[in-house]
Amino acid sequence: MTDENLSAATRPSPRLTTNGQGFKRLFRAALAWLQHHQTAINVLNVYPVPDGDTGTNMVLTMQSAWAEIEDSPERNVGQIAHQMAHGALMGARGNSGVILSQIWRGFARSLDDKDDYCAQDLAAACREASATAYRGVVKPVEGTILTVARAIADTATRQAEETEDLVHMLEHMVFAAHEAVVLTPSLLPVLREAGVVDAGGQGLFIILEGMLRYMRGEPVAEDARLIAAVDLVTTELQPGEAGYGYDVQFLIVGQELDVDAIRQRIIEMGECPLVVGDPTTAKVHVHVPDPGVPISYGASLGSLRDVVVEDMQAQYQDFIVERDLPLSPSPQSPQDIGVVVVVLGDGLARVFQSLGVSSIVRGGQTMNPSTQDLLEAIENLSAERVILLPNNSNVIMAAEQAGALSSKPVAIIPSRSIPQGIAALLAINYQGDFETNVATMTSAIEEVETGEVTTATRSATINGVEVADGHIIGLHNDELKVTGATVEEVVQALLREMNAAQHEIITLYYGEAVSGSDASALASLLRQDWPDQEVEVVTGGQSHYHYILSVE
Amino acid sequence: MPEQERTLGRIEVSLTAIASIVNEAVLTCYGVVGTAAKDLTTGIANLLSRDSKRGIEVRVKDGRIIVDVYVIIEYGTRIVAVARSVMNVVQFSVERALSVPVAEVNVHVEGLRISDID
Repeated sequence: MTDENLSAATRPSPRLTTNGQGFKRLFRAALAWLQHHQTAINVLNVYPVPDGDTGTNMVLTMQSAWAEIEDSPERNVGQIAHQMAHGALMGARGNSGVILSQIWRGFARSLDDKDDYCAQDLAAACREASATAYRGVVKPVEGTILTVARAIADTATRQAEETEDLVHMLEHMVFAAHEAVVLTPSLLPVLREAGVVDAGGQGLFIILEGMLRYMRGEPVAEDARLIAAVDLVTTELQPGEAGYGYDVQFLIVGQELDVDAIRQRIIEMGECPLVVGDPTTAKVHVHVPDPGVPISYGASLGSLRDVVVEDMQAQYQDFIVERDLPLSPSPQSPQDIGVVVVVLGDGLARVFQSLGVSSIVRGGQTMNPSTQDLLEAIENLSAERVILLPNNSNVIMAAEQAGALSSKPVAIIPSRSIPQGIAALLAINYQGDFETNVATMTSAIEEVETGEVTTATRSATINGVEVADGHIIGLHNDELKVTGATVEEVVQALLREMNAAQHEIITLYYGEAVSGSDASALASLLRQDWPDQEVEVVTGGQSHYHYILSVE
Repeated sequence: MPEQERTLGRIEVSLTAIASIVNEAVLTCYGVVGTAAKDLTTGIANLLSRDSKRGIEVRVKDGRIIVDVYVIIEYGTRIVAVARSVMNVVQFSVERALSVPVAEVNVHVEGLRISDID
């Protein structure tokens, strides 16, 4: 989904009602915003089981709900809500997903068969959502998503008495959700100990916030500009009053260890004590201000193994820092920019892969990929914007057609050879934006000279050079320049033609018809003749061309 | 009965005690609205009272705990998701409390409680 769809232009005059299609748009924004925070929410997950999947489960549940209404033209908000709730139920994943599905179920039941909802209807739906969620468990645990759902319902009810403006009302609901999330650690000890807020509650807050962002016309879709916006509610509790101290863990290996006695002593030393084991091995974990105390004690009982001492203040800081980090762009490709290259030859494909391209389309001089092949490669990438390197003058036109047909913004860097493509890729700045990268890459291809050595397939005179069938020919930047009887002779002539003496690096990509030893032999020859240049040999595996040369 | 040899003696945790841990865990488990006696053939769905452990069976086999829970689940929840969550929560709670591995948690859905008709 793109920004244009998701962000309304400006804040409209008071919104008094929302119909089915309006709710769909809100829901989609909520899902996008939740996806944006998924990883951050996973990190918070410590209750009921610390398995770090709350964000993922909520997203999967929301996706299942969205799939149910995505194509529905229904304008009746009650109908849409019922379809959505059905989807959430069918796709509910994990504890948080089940609770979320119950929230939507109550929400839908309250809306019943209404064409649209007003402030009063929304408040009633939130109350029913909360009540339904609470009914699903014998012993509701406070400090969880349930608490947040109830806070939202309470605020919605109060606000509906004061305003008819749905945006205004939602603003208050989001604020209340935020407050409730902040309070979760004070209600649920396990959260307090871990120094986190409740993950499910956080998720519910994010869902509402996504809706509000949409109503305000702010972007929600996964977007580079939003990286800084992953801003979760954090606990206001400071690191324990007694200070975090040290997290100490070790194994005691000994004989006739008295695990209970050890536990008793460890309990006296600090917080979060855990001692388990048997008479020969005991595992000890404790938080203490001075790590020396439990370690000395342990050493007096037996030999210590796997001693781990961690500064919890630092851990807490790391945790905070880590939590605040945006989902980092992968080192392989810039955030939301995909690179498609056209290349023939396994060796060359590997070279491009190592440079971090997203997709490789096989093709080259005699086997041009179709526009369709290129278009598929572009569309199959998850990246929103695509850079395409044709790496052959015969492919540039197909590339341009594919770019024009694609629904994504596509930039064609007119690389006419493999060395140009490689030069362009090396110029990518992983922190830069799309337009800057396109400009740098385009200028980078001019800085490399390309030579190609192949065998003539017919006799001709081109550019004043006479070529006989079966002769070896050398092309400099796509133009026939030299000819000769042997490959070696042509490579040498071509390098002179390319003015290699003025450059620093000569690279030989040898083709499938050339053996590795022949290539090395040629390289040593070149090193003698070009002592001031570095000569590199790369397995290209390309067909037709004995060698592709680059000087730069 | 799980037990661990100690130099000073033994610690025994009765199956009833384990059942209490399981019961507490199950009751905080979202989607579970009660436990039920194992043979509910008469159709009297005994929704549970809080101290009841009749829907919980605990056995020990080779030093590993096997738990069977017989539950009533809220109608309208995704039963498989709730059951899986019961397994996770029971295993986590028992292992945290006892440091004895839980080999199996079998969830038997004995009935559904219909509190709302959508």
